[in-house]
Amino acid sequence: MAHSTTSAQTASPPLRRPTATLAEEWRPRRFASLRGVVRDRSALAGLAILVTVTLLALFASVIAPYDPTKLDPTANLAGPSADHWLGTDNLGRDLFSRLLYGARWTLGAAGLAAAGIVLLGVTVGIVAGYFGGLVDDLLMRLVDVLLAFPSIVLALAIVGMLGPSLPNVLIGMVAVWWVDYARVVRGLTLKVVQNDYVLSAHCCGCGSLRMITRHVLPNVIPPVIVLATLELGALMLAISGLSFLGLGAQPPTPEWGTMLSDGRLFFLGAPQLMMYPGIAITLVVLGCNLLGDGLRDALDPRQRRR
Amino acid sequence: MRRVSSEINRRTLLLATGAAGITVRFGRSATAQETPSGSARVGVGEDGYRVDERANVGFYPLNTNIFESLVYMTPDYQIEPRLAESWEFVEPGTWRIVLRQGVVFHDGTPFTAEAVKYTMDRIAANGGGVLGVGPDSTVIVDDFTVEITPTYVNMRMMEQIGHPNNSILPPGLNPAESRNGTGPFREVEYVAADHYSVEANADYWGDAPGVSGITFQFYPDPTARLLALQAGDADLIVDVPAQSADQVEAAGATLLRGPVGSYEAMYFQIKGEAPYDLGQDPAVREAVSIAIDRQQVIDSAWQGNAEPGTTMIPPAILGDSASLVAAPEFDPERARQLLEEAGWVEGEGGVREKDGRALALTIINGFATAADHGSVPELIQAQLGYIGIELEIIQTPDTATYEQRLTVGEGDLWLERGSQNDGNPAFLPELLFSTPEEGGDPEATAYGRAFAPGEAFDTEIARSREATDIAEVQEAAAQAMNIVINEERIVIPLCGFYRLVGHSEAVTSFDLHASGVNQLWTSLTMAE
Amino acid sequence: MFRFVLRRLAYLLPVWIGISLVAFMLANLAPGDPARLALQRELGRQPTAEETAVVREQMGLNDAAPIRYLNWLGDALTGDLGTSYRTGQPVLDSLADRFPTTLQIAGFGLLLAIAIAIPLGILAAVYRQGPIDHFSRVIALLGASMPSYWVAYLLILLLSVRLGWLPVAGSQTWQHAVMPALTLGIGGSASLMRLTRSEMLETLNQDYIRTARAKGLGSRPLMLGHALRNTMIPLSTVLGMRFAGMLGGAVIVETIFSWPGIGKLVVDAIFDRDYPMIQGFVIFMGTAFLLINLIVDLGYGVIDPRIRLARR
Repeated sequence: MAHSTTSAQTASPPLRRPTATLAEEWRPRRFASLRGVVRDRSALAGLAILVTVTLLALFASVIAPYDPTKLDPTANLAGPSADHWLGTDNLGRDLFSRLLYGARWTLGAAGLAAAGIVLLGVTVGIVAGYFGGLVDDLLMRLVDVLLAFPSIVLALAIVGMLGPSLPNVLIGMVAVWWVDYARVVRGLTLKVVQNDYVLSAHCCGCGSLRMITRHVLPNVIPPVIVLATLELGALMLAISGLSFLGLGAQPPTPEWGTMLSDGRLFFLGAPQLMMYPGIAITLVVLGCNLLGDGLRDALDPRQRRR
Repeated sequence: MRRVSSEINRRTLLLATGAAGITVRFGRSATAQETPSGSARVGVGEDGYRVDERANVGFYPLNTNIFESLVYMTPDYQIEPRLAESWEFVEPGTWRIVLRQGVVFHDGTPFTAEAVKYTMDRIAANGGGVLGVGPDSTVIVDDFTVEITPTYVNMRMMEQIGHPNNSILPPGLNPAESRNGTGPFREVEYVAADHYSVEANADYWGDAPGVSGITFQFYPDPTARLLALQAGDADLIVDVPAQSADQVEAAGATLLRGPVGSYEAMYFQIKGEAPYDLGQDPAVREAVSIAIDRQQVIDSAWQGNAEPGTTMIPPAILGDSASLVAAPEFDPERARQLLEEAGWVEGEGGVREKDGRALALTIINGFATAADHGSVPELIQAQLGYIGIELEIIQTPDTATYEQRLTVGEGDLWLERGSQNDGNPAFLPELLFSTPEEGGDPEATAYGRAFAPGEAFDTEIARSREATDIAEVQEAAAQAMNIVINEERIVIPLCGFYRLVGHSEAVTSFDLHASGVNQLWTSLTMAE
Repeated sequence: MFRFVLRRLAYLLPVWIGISLVAFMLANLAPGDPARLALQRELGRQPTAEETAVVREQMGLNDAAPIRYLNWLGDALTGDLGTSYRTGQPVLDSLADRFPTTLQIAGFGLLLAIAIAIPLGILAAVYRQGPIDHFSRVIALLGASMPSYWVAYLLILLLSVRLGWLPVAGSQTWQHAVMPALTLGIGGSASLMRLTRSEMLETLNQDYIRTARAKGLGSRPLMLGHALRNTMIPLSTVLGMRFAGMLGGAVIVETIFSWPGIGKLVVDAIFDRDYPMIQGFVIFMGTAFLLINLIVDLGYGVIDPRIRLARR
């Protein structure tokens, strides 16, 4: 998590300035270079991975041959076979089915968390940037307080307190990760608000809500989407990390992080219990990263000078 | 670096069990050698020592044999003289103990009654423990005789005093600062959270160690511990999780199975309020207790490294009286019948119901941690499902939450693991299932309030407490266990775990104790 | 300048108080009696009511919450963060002891990440749009996509068990630090590589460089050196982010590799409801980060006059 300060953000200098946040470099523009994304093969690959996994998750109940929680103690730790394409786990549950349903849980959880984070972060950022003054002060100080810790540890503490369950992990994630978005959106909002044409619109009697929806939001949403895509992968890893520690989805839920944690004790004898969910997570996170990278490249004005 | 075979063979469970049959050895290996061989590296779990006023560095939870107690608990749960040579009970409540002569601490200080008084007073200052000693309880009669009078009549004190927590310290010692004991090993170095190394004590009064030194390496992660054995970083590892046992052979090492020292059991709450009141029906309790296929649990969850639970506490501690506790039968047909007769008929989705209420129970998984129970809750869920009971699994993140829940009684079945570390057979039953007094601290009496069977049980426990002869204690404890297991069906024993240890070919012999903290490392020998 | 410092401090003070409140509340809002829990853990069985009462008194748990907060805060300001319920050691000692240990692998991990990222980034920039560019980008991203505990086990399997190059776990020698650092570094190298690449491209495209090349002047090394120097500034900010990320990632890595750092300490504290340790950790880390922030801010203030003269 970043610790760059608020003072560095408001200045927009010709001097070489750390470009760690998109806020400094983003100028309100349209999606003219979305074509750039299509031309970028890795980003396409990332998109393809995500789409495929999402489809698999959606149709898991149709594709999966078994109920992922159905025990079959006679077939523990079986290898791949015609009956069980990827074999079974230590309780005889079909690994392929568990992976498929796991996609639902892992992607769903990450998606929900991302939605919550974006909602909270964008709201706080716009309010702080638009209204400024004391509200801005207070909110940004709250942000600084939250930024003072490594995010995983704070989330860990929150979930540890609330009790281990997937909903609580989501709460913990949302409570901690919204800060980045708030800062970025605040910076963007400030830029928009300072624009002359916006000021004149305000003078002409546009109400706050209209101002926000018509002027601020369109400029704020695209970089937020890019940021969200980029962070979706990290979010998934964080959720699975908490599951690994025993705080996330509880057995017998076939969430990938939980499956990795369950498979730990069988690492030497039956490594496939860890391999499959590990590969699955890696693949999906890679997809997110590739796509996010591609989006950032395409929408980053500096890269367009090619 | 000595290495075990680095081949990782993927085996099915059947093959692994077959291989285990060939390489597993029970209890002791070859006879110990006379001359100490080299130094050993032992992989243990996490560093759990304390350094405050209750400091226990060197003896709990990892007992490095630097210190000793007055008595020693053998693998058969009998007590043997150690620093105490003999003892007798003097009415009304005093234990008169004669101490061993000619023993010195590692720094040369002679062992006398002073040390015993210092140790007991220290225990008293920290609450007295199960011994019940108070600040004035210990009286020095002469250099080698001491009298201990606990604050209440405690017939079981000698069995309890063998626990490593009661290790004898020289007068004035703070174990947090330095370690100076009478044991077969002396400390070389302690680096917190990293390792604890000891060397053989040349002046030890008893049997000399088989190795010249041991380095205990702390590995909190059990898989990392196993990998350390495989990579040759450790010669012997303790606390191999039951689920990983077959991987020890897969790694080319040897698996040693010790006697049963710990148990896993479910307790059924009998005094809950709705919706946790189904435990009040004896028919439901009986049905649940006979619907559990313990062998399946052992095979699936523990890879066969346990035996079906019968007495809950290790049978060995009950001696001949263990047979008084009947083994629970596995009879799902009769379970279904019992439920039918009690009015629970099959309803929606195979779940039984009566008067519009579904037969739904909740199991709380979290003592001491949820990870301790692996996949047992899911197996129980499936097995209860076969007789028409719907089971919800709730996992608590830590002991605090578990206990909190128990205090308010929000659950039907409570899944726990425990171990027996001192010689008093009735210790666990008394602690957990005695009827509590009215108005006691809610948390301290949570177990009693949820599970206490009542008067018959309490009578047996009282008998065990007052009996002088250990056989009678065993019999009373066994009767108590029979009441709570087979008559009242409050305790449903699941398994008794073998203590598992893995070692490379560098280790030539090692006697495994059922109780981890009472492990003697003197029997460990290494190849030349 | 002095007013700038004062303003920054005035801004940070409420933040620090906020952190201390978070620290205190987090630990105390959790259920369970820490006295009982501590005894349970220590004794391996349920404690008797008498034992619990003694320990409750010893821990000072019988006072009201606001009083406990103020007491704790007052002590904290003098450097006394209490004693851990779990180990009995003073909290500050444990934290101060184990923080550098985590810094070791985080720092080492950062070095490894740089060692991986910069060459890859340079190659990607110089041969941009080529196969090397795509390939190195995917490799770096792959590293950032793998769950750290998975990577950890795989590394142990490969480097310890199969090849025998490194010890499995522990913390005695520098070899023990390699795998934990590698696990952390692999994840961090992706964004560093990305940044290096884009900054290099930026510099390489600048007019004066192109002019120099057009004129036939300047060899590759000169260009690269210059480009690298320009990359350092933005790199340092991202390094800060990555470092913080590694401190977080160390939590899991430290457990697996028996690396006695602060991450494992706090995870254990959370699971054990070790209130003093949790509170101490939050205030400790919070203060550390705030101090770093302050120093960085002051640094910027020194370098760039507009910063310190700005309204905020």
